Amino acid sequence: MEPTKNFNTTPGMAGESFDDFKAPLFLAWQINSVCNLGCLHCCEEAGHHIPGEMTRDQIFNFLHQVREMGIPYVAISGGEPLLHPDFFEVAEFIQEAGISLKVETNGEFIDDRTVERFAALDFRSVQISLDGATSATHEVLRLKGNWGKSHAAVRKLVKKGVTTEIVFVPTSFNIHEVGPAIDMAYNLGCYGFYTGKIMRIGRAALNWDKLNPTEEQYKACFKILDEKTKQYKDKMKVYYYPYDVIEELKYRLQKPSASLLVIPNGNTKLIGPLPFICGNVKEQPLGEVWERYKKAWREPRVIEFTKRVIKDPNLLAESNKWQNIFETRSETCSA
Amino acid sequence: MEFKKHVRIRKEKFGMVIFETLKEKVFVTNPTGAEIIERLKDKKTPDTIITELASQYGADAAVIADDVNCFINNLVRQEVLAK
Repeated sequence: MEPTKNFNTTPGMAGESFDDFKAPLFLAWQINSVCNLGCLHCCEEAGHHIPGEMTRDQIFNFLHQVREMGIPYVAISGGEPLLHPDFFEVAEFIQEAGISLKVETNGEFIDDRTVERFAALDFRSVQISLDGATSATHEVLRLKGNWGKSHAAVRKLVKKGVTTEIVFVPTSFNIHEVGPAIDMAYNLGCYGFYTGKIMRIGRAALNWDKLNPTEEQYKACFKILDEKTKQYKDKMKVYYYPYDVIEELKYRLQKPSASLLVIPNGNTKLIGPLPFICGNVKEQPLGEVWERYKKAWREPRVIEFTKRVIKDPNLLAESNKWQNIFETRSETCSA
Repeated sequence: MEFKKHVRIRKEKFGMVIFETLKEKVFVTNPTGAEIIERLKDKKTPDTIITELASQYGADAAVIADDVNCFINNLVRQEVLAK
């Protein structure tokens, strides 16, 4: 997320670069790695615990720093965040701190009681992954997934007045259902429908040849998205990000975002598709991690590797082989 | 006038950053814009803000009024501030 408009300013002024901000504007936090599903297109290879996941004390120490730094917007994902034992206490802390909170979940653990708690917490939104308008399409991608549970979760959340969004990742298995999925989101009363090109990282990279839609499929998909955006204008937000991960990296190399991505063990990545970590929120104060993040984007090692990835997208498969940019030894993810 | 529910505001060296978190849009202001926003947060009316800024800067209130009203209208148009 970048500054999109300046008020009462002149072009080129401060506030247009991530360097200008005293703290991140956005925190993407993967609170856990545990997940009940084994999605073919998971960008995190989630499923099991990873070594060194943050303890309860470390989590709340981190959250106090998030509040003190004035980070305005946090998105919690996983793994499956509702499987984290401290999830609701974390959400309450964030809510009481006046921070906007988005929760990204597969929706399978959202029962009536959970919906009541979500409604009381008055989140910015709950984002449910629904990768099809039918159970057959959704479940062929989301192994062990249950479309009916996720669909019911959306219905319950909307009924209770929780701002609910659906996220849909197009693959060769489900891209044909993007139109019906948008209609479904609207009929369920969702606030928004989000999609964009699948990212070639994590488990998705391992299954890339099976998952990646053809250019023709994408072309048809974006045509539908354009039509649906018009159809639901002022009724439901249909948002799609038309660039792939390589285009994103080209852009971020020039203009890193004012955000941090913290993974379950506290490591802070520069960006999902790159293997680089700039610090660990268990080991360094968050303010220091932010400064390290800003510095890391200018490290020759980061710039050179990113340029190599842009030339050879096969290197995206290394995105979870973490390397601490400020240490010589490398750390490999076993997730 | 008040900022909308999902709007978060933070002071920065350069002025102020305004984050409409529902629409995920970020806006920045210079220090003068920050002065207006601080007063809007304190629930001050545009008239009060104009008077205070005119006094603070020793400027013509009519000129200040144009800038303040333009700025506030911008905030409303961008749906971060509700009238």
